[in-house]
Amino acid sequence: MRNNFDRQLSQLNTELVTMGALCEEAITNAVKYLTDNDENSKIMCLDADTQIDKKERDIETLCLKLILQQQPVAKDLRAVSAALKMISDMERIGDQASDIVEIAPYVAKKGTLGETHIREMAEAAIKMVSESIESFVKMNLDIAYMVIEHDNIVDDLFDKVKWELIKSITESLDDAEALMDLLMIAKYFERIGDHAENIAGWVIYSITGMHQKISEKPLGKEE
Amino acid sequence: MIRINKKIFRSSLLTVCFVLTAAIALIMGLLFHFFEKRIQTELVNEAGFLAQAVENEGIRYFDGFDGKDSKFTRNNRITWIGKNGKVLFDSRADVSGLDNHADRDEIKEAMKNGKGMSTRYSKTLTEKTVNYAIRLSDGSILRVSTEQYTVITILMGMLQPVLLIMFAALILTLVLSARVSKAIIEPVNRLDLEVPENNDIYEELTPLLRKIADQKETIEEQLADARKKQNEFNLITENMSEGFLIIDADANLLTCNSAALNLLGIVPPSDRSVLMFCRAKEFREVISDVLSGIRAENTMVRDEHSYSLIASPVFEKEAVIGAVVVILDITEREKRDTLRQEFMANVSHELKTPLTSISGFAELMKTGEVPESDVIDFSKSIYDEAQRLITLVNDIIKISELDGQSIPFEKEMVDLYELSSEIIELLKKEADKKNITFYLAGGKAEIMGVRKILEEMLYNLCDNAIKYNKENGMVDVLVNQTEDGVNVIVRDTGTGIGTAHQDRVFERFYRVDKSHSRKEGGTGLGLAIVKHGAMYHHAKISLESTVDVGTAITITFANMH
Repeated sequence: MRNNFDRQLSQLNTELVTMGALCEEAITNAVKYLTDNDENSKIMCLDADTQIDKKERDIETLCLKLILQQQPVAKDLRAVSAALKMISDMERIGDQASDIVEIAPYVAKKGTLGETHIREMAEAAIKMVSESIESFVKMNLDIAYMVIEHDNIVDDLFDKVKWELIKSITESLDDAEALMDLLMIAKYFERIGDHAENIAGWVIYSITGMHQKISEKPLGKEE
Repeated sequence: MIRINKKIFRSSLLTVCFVLTAAIALIMGLLFHFFEKRIQTELVNEAGFLAQAVENEGIRYFDGFDGKDSKFTRNNRITWIGKNGKVLFDSRADVSGLDNHADRDEIKEAMKNGKGMSTRYSKTLTEKTVNYAIRLSDGSILRVSTEQYTVITILMGMLQPVLLIMFAALILTLVLSARVSKAIIEPVNRLDLEVPENNDIYEELTPLLRKIADQKETIEEQLADARKKQNEFNLITENMSEGFLIIDADANLLTCNSAALNLLGIVPPSDRSVLMFCRAKEFREVISDVLSGIRAENTMVRDEHSYSLIASPVFEKEAVIGAVVVILDITEREKRDTLRQEFMANVSHELKTPLTSISGFAELMKTGEVPESDVIDFSKSIYDEAQRLITLVNDIIKISELDGQSIPFEKEMVDLYELSSEIIELLKKEADKKNITFYLAGGKAEIMGVRKILEEMLYNLCDNAIKYNKENGMVDVLVNQTEDGVNVIVRDTGTGIGTAHQDRVFERFYRVDKSHSRKEGGTGLGLAIVKHGAMYHHAKISLESTVDVGTAITITFANMH
């Protein structure tokens, strides 16, 4: 019985890693489509997103099965509940990657991309997603905290991009529509960064049993 | 599993209980019977004695009976009953309260036979009364009764001591069984199973020990066998430069060699899923394919290295139980492939360009409409392009000769200083066109080498120094003999080579600025020839260059002596 439980837990881990890898794939391809306008990456990104949605349902079923049949406690329960939370963040990352792909053709004017910090933002967001998955795989607190730190960089870059776009629009209204779409994309990257931060937060929770956002609340003082 | 202690305890307790019960039953049976006999005899005696007395004295005899002091045993009840069964005297009770006794068993018997005996039990069965009646000469009956405890009463009375004994027996067996089991087990536990035959405790254990010894031998043999196989396996896999992984049906890592550890960054020991260590799309696809029973191959890029993945499923009874994955680092091979492709493209391009011109001029002339004056110009162009082709093909031949390393060139002592001055003389005309000044410094510096190749090398170096120089530039050629060998330095004041290109300029047909190739002429093979020539002579090449300042190429020939 116990053996079965361990197997299911390890299966859960593998599934989560796979889902994380799909997220990395989705966002990497979305960025590639945005910068290089490579049709193949668009297909790959949308394909990854479909797989992510399927994986979310699979993992959810697995988690519920684990809770119902095995009634895990302590660390195992934390791992399962963290997994349940993580998959919804991962699913959002996949959705936002496909959103980026959908509006990318409208901002495809090469010039507009080069003038802004959107590339840096994309790279930073990819790095955050990668590292959040890495922290989960290695169950490494340091990497997880690094991801949370990293979110500030993405937020700052978002502000930077926003002002750059404002400046462009005030100079000339010709590309205003494309620039507004670009702002949306920047926002998506910023949201992806937030989701990656959430994933890192749940990794910390499953290791230590403390969640940053939970323990900040007055309820957490009971400990 | 039952504990030996418990078993011994149980059986000894059972024995004790049985023995105790049997003893009590036996003693009770024998003694009770014996006592009953005695009581009856006593009763008969007493009755006889009393009958005599009553015969003699009649009712008066009983006058002395007041229930307290008596000549006789007070315990016994004496009753005198008249002929008709009416009670005349009773030592225990008032005569008037007693009913007619004629129907009592012993009385009836006595009336009939002269004497009678009966036993009556009380309601609770705890007591019984033994009656003995005797007929007197006048027909009246004298009865003597005595009470006796029944077996049950006695047993009840004995209950306490018996329980006490039982309790004592319980404790005793408890202690005893513990000690006995310990005494039996201790030597067994002290058995030296390393050499089971050497033990000498219980004869009964000998077959078991022999069996253990046999099994031990078998296990050791199998273990040694397995260890040997493991060592062989490790030896093979550890010396592979390819990564080698074995995974189970759930993609968990079973074993891997150190090359795989390095490639995937796995921290041993690990029985986790391989996807934890590498989650690249290609890798995941290979793993999922192979675990569904299909042989899979793919390439993946990781940390700027290219890897080829080859995975074969492992079957047992037609079900996939795992897979073997081999990872090859193909970065070098890929690099070579790209280089070869570039080389092919370059060669075709270089060969095609002059041919296109030749074909173009010839086509024009074929029509016959070209004026006589232009024919000479066209012919000159065709000649020039043909010359260019010849030079190019010659260069290619030279380089492939050098590549093969199998050229049977004669080695001789060559003075590089002298050779340099010859070459400078040869190139004077070219240099003058750009107004470039040559400076030759150094002195006699002889090395053992092939004159033709060395000439090629120096020619190409100096030729490049002119070609890629500025107007009114300078070329320094320094040849000097040091303790370690001979240095040749060719320094120009030309365009220089950017850092990005410095590693690649020695490749065949590589051009820093592709658009310039036509203007400057040349085949793009010059430095490649220099490199191969240097390799042939085991010389080292170093390049220092700054864009727009100049380039210095140093060739160091190691001292052969």
